[in-house]
Amino acid sequence: MRIPRFEYFRPSSIDEVCSLLYKYKGEAKVLAGGTDLFVKMKKKEILPKVVISLKGIQTLDRIEWDDREDLKIGPLVTHDAIVNHPFVREKFDFLSEACFKIGTRQVRNMGTLVGNLCNASPSSDASAPLLVLETKLKLVHLYGERTIPLQEFFIGPFQTVLDPQEIVVEVQIPKPAPHTAGSYQYLHKASSVGETLVGAAALLTIDPRNSTCQEATIGLSSVSPIPIRAKAAERILKGKKLEEKIIREAAQVAMDETQPRSRPLYRREMTRVLVERAILRAMEKIR
Amino acid sequence: MKKQLIELRVNGESFELAVEPQKTLLEVVREDLGLTGAKEACGTGECGACTVLIDGKPILSCLTLAIEAQGKKITTIEGLAKNGDLHPLQKAFIRYGAIQCGYCTSGMILNAKSILDENPKPSRDEILKGLEGNLCRCTGYNKILEAVMAASTGED
Repeated sequence: MRIPRFEYFRPSSIDEVCSLLYKYKGEAKVLAGGTDLFVKMKKKEILPKVVISLKGIQTLDRIEWDDREDLKIGPLVTHDAIVNHPFVREKFDFLSEACFKIGTRQVRNMGTLVGNLCNASPSSDASAPLLVLETKLKLVHLYGERTIPLQEFFIGPFQTVLDPQEIVVEVQIPKPAPHTAGSYQYLHKASSVGETLVGAAALLTIDPRNSTCQEATIGLSSVSPIPIRAKAAERILKGKKLEEKIIREAAQVAMDETQPRSRPLYRREMTRVLVERAILRAMEKIR
Repeated sequence: MKKQLIELRVNGESFELAVEPQKTLLEVVREDLGLTGAKEACGTGECGACTVLIDGKPILSCLTLAIEAQGKKITTIEGLAKNGDLHPLQKAFIRYGAIQCGYCTSGMILNAKSILDENPKPSRDEILKGLEGNLCRCTGYNKILEAVMAASTGED
């Protein structure tokens, strides 16, 4: 299978990328890892006239962090880099675990986190952990920029709010509060790329004085047209002591927040099971 | 589209070539350099038959542009033997009958090499997880697993 012809650009700044996107509008595609783009081009699902590679902009291949600020991930950062980054492994272990689930060893060496989000697959593994971490994306175009919550980025299966003239330049993940931990639980198909059937992430903050749940966020992938937050389930956990009954109730409510398009019975039921597991695992980590 | 002049470093040797931008690294190593060890099977990044190493890491050459592999150290299966002496993994694959049709072998061995380079004593599960992106339709994987385990214990 051959990649159809295109004109190739390798700009050395984000400004140049934006100018090219402005000039070619919908006829251009941005290249980071290529693991989604070139597959779609080979299958002739998309046929861009122009491909704009980001590889000439070294600063985009950066994970930035310090103890006070957000974790910032650039659009050339691969899944493998996230899996192996010592700070991410320590402070965002469940994000790193989710990235280890993505694709295969080869795909993780090529594919990028930002590319994965832009592809907007309902089963994107990184989405559930990123949603519970209240991640934001910084989008830039020729005449300005905007920063939006990840939740607002997805609008349908394989569809995002990203304008053809815009580019995602940064993933911003706020530093979790003290006494906070998260977990990502998943089930996947037994196929070569093991696409995720249900993915559930939970992030909890528990007050050590009275062991009540101060904050709770739950993110789900593969069970709706887009990755979602299970907000009704979150409300059940907030302000309560996390006893078995409450956890069960929250998992049940999370199940009812899903809208699986295929295998609905299985996916709904497994959402309940995995949400419960994610909550329990996050609680264990806080202890 | 206009061809561009590029320089690739493959198995320690430099090659200057004129390629169109849409040419994959797989097409270039096979068709321009005559290194036919890397194979095309699925062409969409699922099977791992096209695996080569870039700066020591396994990647899918069927989804990599040749022009973007410039300035990097590319290793194909042809680069593993030293002075006619096969790499320990290659020897182990032969000894354990881990090769049948051979189509997956080059990708399998290169990926296994990168696994052992990163972690010389991987567990059985680590090898299985590491090789999940390389499909083999002949061996049933057991012999491949045995061969990689044998190579990791230094059996020669």
